[in-house]
Amino acid sequence: MAAEHVSLLPVLLIFLPLIGALLSFVFRRRAAGLGIATAVAVFVIAIALAFSLTRPQRYPVGGWGAPLGIDLVVDGLSLIMLLMSATVGLGVSLYAGGYFHARPQLARAFWPLWLGLWTALNGLFLAADIFNLYVTLELLGLSAVALAALGGSAAALGGAMRYLLVSLLGSLLYLLGVALLYHAFGSVDIALLGERASAQPVTLAALVLMTVGLILKTALFPFHFWLPPAHASASSPVSALLSALVVKASFYILLRLWLEIFEPLNPGRGVTELLGLLGALAVLWGSLQALRQTRLKLLIAYSTVAQLGYLFLGFPLAAAVGPAAWQAVIYLALSHALAKAALFMAAGNIVLFGGHDRIADLDRVVQRLPLSLAAFAIAGISLMGLPPSGGFIGKWLLLEAAIEAGQWWWVVIILIGGMLAAAYLFKVIGFAFTRAPVSHEANAVPPVMEWTALVLAVGTVLLGLWVSPLLAWLATGNPFGVGP
Amino acid sequence: MTPRGAAPWLRFSVALLLVGMFAALAWVLLGLPPRSAGLQPQVAAQMAVSGVDHPVTAVLLNFRGYDTLLEMAVLLLACLGVWSLSPAVPPTDETPGAMLAALPRQLVPLMVLMAGYLLWRGATGPGGAFQAGAVLGAAGVLLLLTGWRLPVRWQGWRLRLLLIAGVGMFVLVALAVVPASGVLLGYPLPVAGTLILLIEALAGLSIGVTLMALFLGGEPGASR
Repeated sequence: MAAEHVSLLPVLLIFLPLIGALLSFVFRRRAAGLGIATAVAVFVIAIALAFSLTRPQRYPVGGWGAPLGIDLVVDGLSLIMLLMSATVGLGVSLYAGGYFHARPQLARAFWPLWLGLWTALNGLFLAADIFNLYVTLELLGLSAVALAALGGSAAALGGAMRYLLVSLLGSLLYLLGVALLYHAFGSVDIALLGERASAQPVTLAALVLMTVGLILKTALFPFHFWLPPAHASASSPVSALLSALVVKASFYILLRLWLEIFEPLNPGRGVTELLGLLGALAVLWGSLQALRQTRLKLLIAYSTVAQLGYLFLGFPLAAAVGPAAWQAVIYLALSHALAKAALFMAAGNIVLFGGHDRIADLDRVVQRLPLSLAAFAIAGISLMGLPPSGGFIGKWLLLEAAIEAGQWWWVVIILIGGMLAAAYLFKVIGFAFTRAPVSHEANAVPPVMEWTALVLAVGTVLLGLWVSPLLAWLATGNPFGVGP
Repeated sequence: MTPRGAAPWLRFSVALLLVGMFAALAWVLLGLPPRSAGLQPQVAAQMAVSGVDHPVTAVLLNFRGYDTLLEMAVLLLACLGVWSLSPAVPPTDETPGAMLAALPRQLVPLMVLMAGYLLWRGATGPGGAFQAGAVLGAAGVLLLLTGWRLPVRWQGWRLRLLLIAGVGMFVLVALAVVPASGVLLGYPLPVAGTLILLIEALAGLSIGVTLMALFLGGEPGASR
């Protein structure tokens, strides 16, 4: 049994939302209050963890320790992901308090499902065991699908059904990889697998199965087909959660497995170049599709397809220049989470206000919902990669890595992606200033919904200013290993 | 993504891809040693301090209890997901025939007894909460199929409390042992067996009720 005292903070990050989910399910009249209280508590604990973490911590659940028991590990990479989900989670919770106030039937389903989703996210970012990761992935997938279906429209149900099938297929491919690795190396602990795994056919098979399963769930081109319908037809707080957080979770698992198990085995340049190529195609294809959309939420969803592409440029670039590329990728993921949540919230306000999301009929939104449009524009700056914003820092670091590696073709992709993002975002902003041919009835939007969108958008600007403390947190425990 | 009536070349290439994947996986599997060392030696070495005598129960409830806790949450969320989609299928007024009415009277008490036995058996042999819950769930489904209706006063918070009882007790025990042992889910040895039985009993009950609630097809008594 463990004698050494370890902080209970990581454990609370998993158990608080779980308890919140149970309580909000039983005491459903108080669900919104319980949900928001949980969100505030989780946010405070995540911040406390950030300031108390000086070196990586391993927490042996049950005191057994790996390989018999399950360990939780928190290092710089987990910490940044936890902070990301805490910030977006708090924002979306406050927003949802306003959004679902007039829809009590949906609210009673939303709160337990969302808090269950949060449990899964935090558990996933803290897991150090590939089977435990599978369990969190299942919890995440099921709650995400149920949330996506919550809108109840035919489009939402169809999108959620396709999402469910893809999510299950991805989980099963991942689980097959887990079984192969356990059979071959006798452990499911990531660190132990990293020590024991050797380059042989079974490891390669596990690499392929798990990578395909996880990129399906991350919606990397050409596996992005399920994302736009699921994300665009969900209710707005859910769209924000799915696009900002859920797709990052499977990317995080892929990155962890890659860094600790597969990369040291040198699977060859083919794998990294292929992932990078798919990422580049995602940037181009997602942006071009976003440009073609006539519906606001579909445009934002295709923009997610494009932005996820940048994350995969990390594979070829890290192979060439080392950890700097991953720093850039995580910075982009973090900025995208805040920016995309703000965009979907602002879009939700516009839909609530005008009753539709046809881009061409955005009748003078700028005068009528100035805060929401400001949120949209500020978050857009980060997506385009203009200073001062987190998106700018992320892209700058990524460009630096590409130039250092001498791989100019990635530079071209990053620049074209930024210009296309500017094109599709300005298209929306342009229509927001003009008078539409048909005017429509306007509904009141609760102020909290406008302000949370704006605060998250301003958060992307702060990410552009607080670079060094965040990079220092990210470096805790050197998660990306030493450079070449 | 393949739409209905996909082109023959597409079907052919998908089939070819799957056959290729199958062949590659079969080749990998045939190259593996037939028996893997796994963790059996470690499990065997710690059985004496696990609080139970059956290795599967020791792994599920103690060594990897955290996984089982989250799995219970998965089951609960699945039920919540189904409930969020629609209200329950409204019950019909049809009265079952003599045979159908008599059947559950004979079977259900036996099934409840069986569930209790499986639960108790889990400490020493194959059995435990999931098996007990499955039998209990089957008893519930049988009752629903033969015309039994959930009483109205059990449709509200009482039913919801039964649904969360298993994972709720698991969470409670997981946190309550922290002051005594210093770690989450670290059962102190003298009470380990009792705590595991307590968790399993409520987990079995919740699993059974959840499976029955899934069969309702939606939330009972809810209006949309």
